[in-house]
Amino acid sequence: MKLYVSEGNPHGLKVLAAAGLWAHGVEIQRLQQDEKVVPFLSQAKLPALELNTGNYLFCANAICRYFTLAAGKEQGDLTNQWMEWEATELQPVISAVLYATIVQGKKTEESLAMVGKQLEHISQNLTKKPFLTGDAVSVADIVVWGAIFPLLAEMSTLLEDLSSLKNWFKKVSDLQPCQKAVESLFKGKGPSVFKAYLQKMPAPSATTDASACN
Amino acid sequence: MAVEELTALEKCLGLKAGKYSRRAQGSSQVPVLQTNSGPSLAGLATIASHLVTQAKKEELLGVSLEEKAVVQQWLEYRTTRIDRLTSKEDVRTTLKDLNCYLEDKVYMAGNKITLADILTYYGLHPIIADLSIQEKENYMNVSRWFSHIQHSPGVRQHLPSVVFIKNRIYSNVH
Repeated sequence: MKLYVSEGNPHGLKVLAAAGLWAHGVEIQRLQQDEKVVPFLSQAKLPALELNTGNYLFCANAICRYFTLAAGKEQGDLTNQWMEWEATELQPVISAVLYATIVQGKKTEESLAMVGKQLEHISQNLTKKPFLTGDAVSVADIVVWGAIFPLLAEMSTLLEDLSSLKNWFKKVSDLQPCQKAVESLFKGKGPSVFKAYLQKMPAPSATTDASACN
Repeated sequence: MAVEELTALEKCLGLKAGKYSRRAQGSSQVPVLQTNSGPSLAGLATIASHLVTQAKKEELLGVSLEEKAVVQQWLEYRTTRIDRLTSKEDVRTTLKDLNCYLEDKVYMAGNKITLADILTYYGLHPIIADLSIQEKENYMNVSRWFSHIQHSPGVRQHLPSVVFIKNRIYSNVH
C-alpha cells in the first residue's frame, strides 16, 4: 500500500492525518503535483492510494475512509453524511475562498463571508457533542478539519463567534498525527504554500453559493 | 432529479416509498429523507447507502474493505464530478476516464453489482442517451458496462432503455 502526496496540495492534509491516526504501515511517497499516478485518469490527481491489489483510490475522502475501515471502524449514516457534505458543499466554497485570497489577493473579509454559513453549520452540530459523530474523533472530523484548516490557520478571527467550532478545531489540531501532517505539508510557511497548486486549478465556480450566504 | 432517482432505488430494493424534501444548495438541490428512526438524512450518496442498509442488502456497499472504499469513491465521483459536468470537454474527459477504468472490469467495484454501478448508471443516463452511435462505439467499455447494468433486474425502473448496436458499424477510429 502506497500513498502518493504532492507538496502544496491542500487535500494532502486529511490523508496524512488519517494515515497517522489509523494506518501506520502505509508507505508515503512525495511527488510533483503534475505527476500522473492513477493509470485510468487522464489528468494528474493527487493524493492517491495504490492498494496491494493494484487498484487505486483517487479521492482524498475515500482514502481516509479506507484507512479507518482497515483499522476496523465501521461507518454509519452520520459519517457518510458529513463526508458527502464536505465533498459537495464545503469543499467548493473552500476552494473558491482559497483561490480568491491566495491567487487573486482579494480582501479576506469579503472572501470569508462566503464560508460563514458552512462554518456555522459545523459549529451548531458541535454544541451537544465533542466531535462531529459523537464522543470520539472519527474520519468525518479529520475530513472536515483538513478542509477548513488552510483557512482557519491564518484567519483565526473567523472563529471568534463560534466557540463550539473553535474548541473542536483546537482539539483536532492538537492531535499529534494532525500536527505532524500540518508540519510536513506547510513547513512553517502558511497557506501560501498552496499557491502553485491553486494557480493550476481552473477558477472555481462556487461564487453561485456566495449569494446564499447572507 | 435526485429524489426521482432515490424513489427508483427504493423500488429496486423492494422498499416502501420514503418521505423526501429538497434543500437548495447554490444552483442545485440536495435531497433530504425523513427517516422513521430519527433525524433526517441529506445527500444522494448518504441516503442511497442508508436505503441499501435498510433493505438488508449491505453487499451492495461492497464486501471487502477495498470494495467498500471503492464504492464510496465512485459515489463521491458521481456527486462531485458527474453531477457537475459543465462543458462538452468535461463530458468527454469523464467518459474517457471511465472507459479506461472499465477496460478490464465488468463492475465498478469487485465482481458483483454494487451501489456504485447503480448510481453511476443513473447519473450517466442523460449523457449516454444523448450520444451518437459512433460516440457509443468510441466509449466501448462504458457502453458495454452501461448496457449490462440497465439490464440488471430492477435497476432501470422508469428510465428509457438506451439502445446499443452489438456489431461495430464504424471502422476503427484512429
